[in-house]
Amino acid sequence: MDCALDLMRRLPPQEIEQNLSDLIDLVPTLCEDLLSSVDQPLKIARDRQSGKDYLLCDYNRDGDSYRSPWSNTYYPPLEDGSMPSERLRKIEMDANHAFDQYREMYFEGGVSSVYLWDLEINHGFAGAILIKKAGDGSKKIKGCWDSIHVVEVQEKSSGRNAHYKLTSTVMLWLQTNKTGSGTMNLGGSLTRQVEQDATVSEASPHIANIGRMVEDMENKIRNTLNEIYFGKTKDIVNGLRSVQQLSDQKAHAALRQDLAAALQKRQAKTSASEN
Amino acid sequence: MTLDGEETITDQEKVRIVSNFILHSPPGEFNEVFNDARILLNNDTLLKEGAIGVFGEYSKAQLTPVKIKNSEYPVLISDNNDLGSNRFYDPRSKQSFKYDPLRRETSNYDSWEPEEGTEKWRAALETELDLYISNHYKNGTSSVFSKREDGKVVLTACIEAHLFQPKNCWNGCWRSQWSVSLDSGNADIKGILKVQVHYYEDGNVQLIGSKEIVENIQATDEEHLARELIKMFEESESDYQTAISENYLTMSDTTFKALRRQLPVTRSKIDWSKMMSYSLGKELKQQ
Repeated sequence: MDCALDLMRRLPPQEIEQNLSDLIDLVPTLCEDLLSSVDQPLKIARDRQSGKDYLLCDYNRDGDSYRSPWSNTYYPPLEDGSMPSERLRKIEMDANHAFDQYREMYFEGGVSSVYLWDLEINHGFAGAILIKKAGDGSKKIKGCWDSIHVVEVQEKSSGRNAHYKLTSTVMLWLQTNKTGSGTMNLGGSLTRQVEQDATVSEASPHIANIGRMVEDMENKIRNTLNEIYFGKTKDIVNGLRSVQQLSDQKAHAALRQDLAAALQKRQAKTSASEN
Repeated sequence: MTLDGEETITDQEKVRIVSNFILHSPPGEFNEVFNDARILLNNDTLLKEGAIGVFGEYSKAQLTPVKIKNSEYPVLISDNNDLGSNRFYDPRSKQSFKYDPLRRETSNYDSWEPEEGTEKWRAALETELDLYISNHYKNGTSSVFSKREDGKVVLTACIEAHLFQPKNCWNGCWRSQWSVSLDSGNADIKGILKVQVHYYEDGNVQLIGSKEIVENIQATDEEHLARELIKMFEESESDYQTAISENYLTMSDTTFKALRRQLPVTRSKIDWSKMMSYSLGKELKQQ
């Protein structure tokens, strides 16, 4: 399993679906583990009952059917598909409503879905908060964002406190094909994890606690994506080849050093004469 | 025994999958991908029999630089200098050798002769290319190959530059292949430029880019041709690099910003307690 995960961390993320399906063909015994631990780009489907779009992933899948969080039904229809308990379904409906607003405020478009499931360990449940937003392709660049937040909640016996463990993956895909730059495909994912305890009350129910964590995490990952995608990988390209002649660069660096030294000398002189 | 819904695939299919994984190793990560694939396949005999050709194929596709005896310059492993049976030649030092792509070792050296009438063109381009590489690449290697094809002299200039920093979880590689077909004073040029970057600290982010170029220039003799070609390579490669930088800027300033805001329009983070009581209130009203 470690080898399979290491391989998925190395092979081009742009081919993640093909690579994952090949990997499962090669080692079928890892199938369930791989599907639950390797995040794939989210797919969108239409819930015909509510007329709203919802997201498909391993967390709302049962066999070949996927459950919609809006109408709580499986498509294609499935009898005895696994369902959250009645108590959890109530929280799930509120969570979908809350994250729908969160999505609108940060993404101004896209699709979101929240799925919850009961954990066997006492008083626990887990959930997946999913958001997908595709760009409008302006300036000939295609863009797409996929958020996959998985949270595990352990309620303390008092019921007033809970422990939250959040694992978040954000996938960001950017593609363009222009005369000057040829094809350029910049994509992949970053994963981060955080754990924290929080008070559970009427003013601060589970969803609010999870919401704050997801919001902070997504804001942080957004900054990191910005640094890595548009800073780090660009610097690496410009480290491989230099548009300027390297001899010019060396001359410039030497000139800068001379200037700095001259300035320092002058400053030293001025301060000496002032004293 | 197979579990329900699990179909075992043929050995041939397994070899195809493993070969495909190895061929897609990011620059500098062949060993890691090879080891993972080997353990997952769990059949060394099948790997050796079925996928042996893939190792050489990967070395050629990556334009792997190899240190060789009696030369201060490494040579690039490529389709152009492949003599078959794992033998390659270095046109600069006029030697052929056996290359082991797994151990990255050379052996069984022999002398090698260029095709008649091609060497003066090749050598002139090589001299100019060496200078160009030292001017624009921090860790660059190049090789120029020559041959006769349908009576024409065909030159191929290959450039490889890489930075491998596995300790910092990133690797990058630039490759250029310029093919020049000479017909009297006329040179038809085809170029392919490739760049790949892999960043993998708590994630997997890759830049995969390529551009094809078709050009034509006129030249009077070998030295003139070499200078004109280098001028063209320099211009095309710098244009390509500049275009990539411009894309980066548009992607971060326009595409990325339009996907997700840094903060909501209110410029402050969400008040979740308020949001929850608001949505609950709305639900009560609906009932």
